[in-house]
Amino acid sequence: MKPDGTSRSARHVSAALLAALLAFLPVAGVRSQDVDDASPHSDAELVAEVISVAPGRTFSVALRLTMDEGWHSYWRNPGDAGGTTTIDWALPEGFTASDIQWPHPRRVEAPPLVSYGYDDEVLLLVDVTPPDDIETETVTLAARADWVVCEEICLPATAGLELTLPVTAGPVEYDPRWSQAIGASRSRIPAAAAGWEFRAWRDAAGFVLEATAPVSLDEYGDGAYFFSSRASTIAHAAPQPAVIDGRSMRLSLPASEYLHGPVTSLDGVLLAPPGLSWPAAEGNRALSVGAPVTIGPAVAGTPTTLVTALLFALLGGIILNLMPCVFPVLSIKVLGFVEQGGASRAGVRAHGAAFAAGVVASFLALGVALLVIRASGTLVGWGFQLQSPAVVGLLAGLFFVLGLSLLGVFDVGTSLTRLGGLMGPSRGLGASFGSGVLATVVATPCIAPLMGAALGFALTQPPLPTLLIFGAIGVGMALPYVLLSMRPTLLGRLPRPGAWMETLRQVLAFPLFATALWLVWVFGQQTGVDGAAYLLAGLLLVALGAWMLWRWPRSTASGRRYTLSRAAAAIVVMAALTVGLRGTKSQAGPPTDESWQPFSTVRLVELQARGRPVFIDFTAAWCLTCKVNERVVLETETIEEAFRERDVVLLKADWTRQDPEITRALEAFGRTGVPLYVLYTGDAARPPIILPTILTKETLLEALEEI
Amino acid sequence: MKGLDTMKRRLVCGPLLCLAVAAGLAAPEARAQNAAWEIGAPAPEFTLPDTYGEEHSLADYRGGWVVLEWLNYECPYVGKHYNSGNMQGLQREYGEKGVVWLAIVSSAPGKQGYHEPDEMNSLSKAKNSAAKAVLLDPEGTVGHLYSAQTTPQMIVIDPDGVLLYNGAIDDRPTARLADIEGATNYLVAALEEAMNGQEVSRPTTQPYGCSVKYAR
Repeated sequence: MKPDGTSRSARHVSAALLAALLAFLPVAGVRSQDVDDASPHSDAELVAEVISVAPGRTFSVALRLTMDEGWHSYWRNPGDAGGTTTIDWALPEGFTASDIQWPHPRRVEAPPLVSYGYDDEVLLLVDVTPPDDIETETVTLAARADWVVCEEICLPATAGLELTLPVTAGPVEYDPRWSQAIGASRSRIPAAAAGWEFRAWRDAAGFVLEATAPVSLDEYGDGAYFFSSRASTIAHAAPQPAVIDGRSMRLSLPASEYLHGPVTSLDGVLLAPPGLSWPAAEGNRALSVGAPVTIGPAVAGTPTTLVTALLFALLGGIILNLMPCVFPVLSIKVLGFVEQGGASRAGVRAHGAAFAAGVVASFLALGVALLVIRASGTLVGWGFQLQSPAVVGLLAGLFFVLGLSLLGVFDVGTSLTRLGGLMGPSRGLGASFGSGVLATVVATPCIAPLMGAALGFALTQPPLPTLLIFGAIGVGMALPYVLLSMRPTLLGRLPRPGAWMETLRQVLAFPLFATALWLVWVFGQQTGVDGAAYLLAGLLLVALGAWMLWRWPRSTASGRRYTLSRAAAAIVVMAALTVGLRGTKSQAGPPTDESWQPFSTVRLVELQARGRPVFIDFTAAWCLTCKVNERVVLETETIEEAFRERDVVLLKADWTRQDPEITRALEAFGRTGVPLYVLYTGDAARPPIILPTILTKETLLEALEEI
Repeated sequence: MKGLDTMKRRLVCGPLLCLAVAAGLAAPEARAQNAAWEIGAPAPEFTLPDTYGEEHSLADYRGGWVVLEWLNYECPYVGKHYNSGNMQGLQREYGEKGVVWLAIVSSAPGKQGYHEPDEMNSLSKAKNSAAKAVLLDPEGTVGHLYSAQTTPQMIVIDPDGVLLYNGAIDDRPTARLADIEGATNYLVAALEEAMNGQEVSRPTTQPYGCSVKYAR
């Protein structure tokens, strides 16, 4: 064993011991500048490019480290092991020193680890600026350097260094001995090159760094490497496969196992393949990189500016009215307008505005909630409120009650309808506002497929633009109603109120029951058949309570009967809540469909490593588009056959309940919600294919041809 | 609802197709390394002999807190924490709180940090180590399971066997004794948060130190 680790502690024992120890150390050569220490296997000295110092004239000094063969010192990010070099300056008054300017390192491979360092000799440059007047004849630059050298083993080293230079008033003279070496070192410092652009985004495995050069990069092939300035960002030891396409190059950078929290930029050095220098970089092999990290690749069609994002959001909001989630609410809103036929124009307008306010306010509230939850570190995505069985259960109950009320089973006066806010204009402005709120709450599961890109963009923005985009969706959704209420001629064309309205009202109860049914099904997906049974029992009790109100109405029931029935109804409703909530405690059993396996990142990586084609279905029970795609495309004979033929492994990422791993995977593709369909062809060099949100058999079969 | 869905599909197909196809074209290729460990997942099981020949399985300690420490007495970064008494202090402090502290040596025979059991025992005694046991992993199997990169590297496992922390001991990646004072000790932070029922706010950090001297 070499006498390495011991030297470190000895230094702290006493000077006498140190002296004794030094005598036994295989010191290669102690420079005259070393005042208190030396390190075996490496030496340090301070050198300057000038032989004299002139007032106010910046010059370069270097910490020159020389290492024995096989030994390395380290870059600013040492990589998987080792330690960086630091310089603590003690400069004459008025002198300032820059940070270390690091020449690009090389990969030091010691499988399974990779460090970033230097061998043989390295000059770490520092620019020193003297004050405008220097009174002494000489100046002494003193510094303490700490560094680590490793071969198989590691040795920390420290040295107190000094460099004394005469002061001159005349022109600065360069030291031929060091100015050349310092110049050579400077040429290895990564440069910013004109015309180059860098950006980065997350993918399922880590990061993608895209460099766009002013000219074609076709001749660069493999071998470019990105050194991250920060540790715990990328996996240092992982290969960095490159895809070059004309002027752009994409490096896949797997994430560090120690990555925690968001990364807003990738900073570091992009090194050209051995023997090459980058174009338009003045012969430099190393480019300085500062690439902002977005959560997904910015693609054509994705709104990249706030204005286009707002436009998308507005359009999306309008289309939202045609979504099946919103439709039941919409039909009742139309009923409201019909009833308004005879009302005053001003009243109609006020109700339109109140509804719009309800919609916009709820979208803003959802935006704020999403921001707050995300800021607290929890991973959430779109539709998060429907990932809670309790919310789904309560919504099912609400729709059931409103349906009953429309049927006329019970007439609850204004209090309950104001809560649901569905009953139209005669019930006051609060009800209109409330119906806006409800419309928004049930609309959200339909938003993700339509607005995935816009929402993905929104969530990468600071809070204000994010909220603006959310607000724009709300404005878009409310726009048709506002226009309708503002245009008296349109309203005039609506049929006159009459007895037919009662029929329409009752008919409209059925879309509400359908929505309740869907919510019960979602609840069942989350909690299993037992959970759904509890919820249905809760709904039964709700029906019982409603019947009590209908059987003993205020107008006919005697005082005592009325009070008793109301108390009984209250108890029954409490029981309904208890039973329904009991259902949320149930757990859904494992999926029964054997052709689909549950998604996990580990499983995906494993399958990729084996070169298997993989199809991932990011889905949720409450996502209607997902379910439609599954029925109409994924679960058809043709597609199942095509999957089998090509031996595609099918992974289902079920996001019905909150799952951080799936949220992260979605985020990696720049999405905040489901559905998302990804096909890995099994060829590691090829990017995964992201399929359209609205799947068709044709597009999927076409994509499968790529395997 | 089928009819509605079909209608919706037709309505939004146009713009969405364009969007999604574009996204597909620009999608990056993905490749990740395959680590056996994951924060929040069950810690990889192992059984290793200690320096007295006794076998220790992680499963034996289910129900209590476990700390794993990757150890190489000759590594100067480890020296920083042993020569200052920092590591032994933590071993005692948390040992008294019932934490099972296992030091693991993954150095291969002939490499730095590897010692025959007897020699290891006298070294541990000289260092005044208070670890419950020093486990020998000369083939590096367990080291690779937890992708231990450096000595020291610290792991925290909760009573349910769930991995809560994997990373550096503190935030000063140096071998200087002077840097122990004033450093933020990640291990202590993780243990304190976890034992008080809170979520560990930094569940992974870049470990620093000497590379683990695995067999090649």
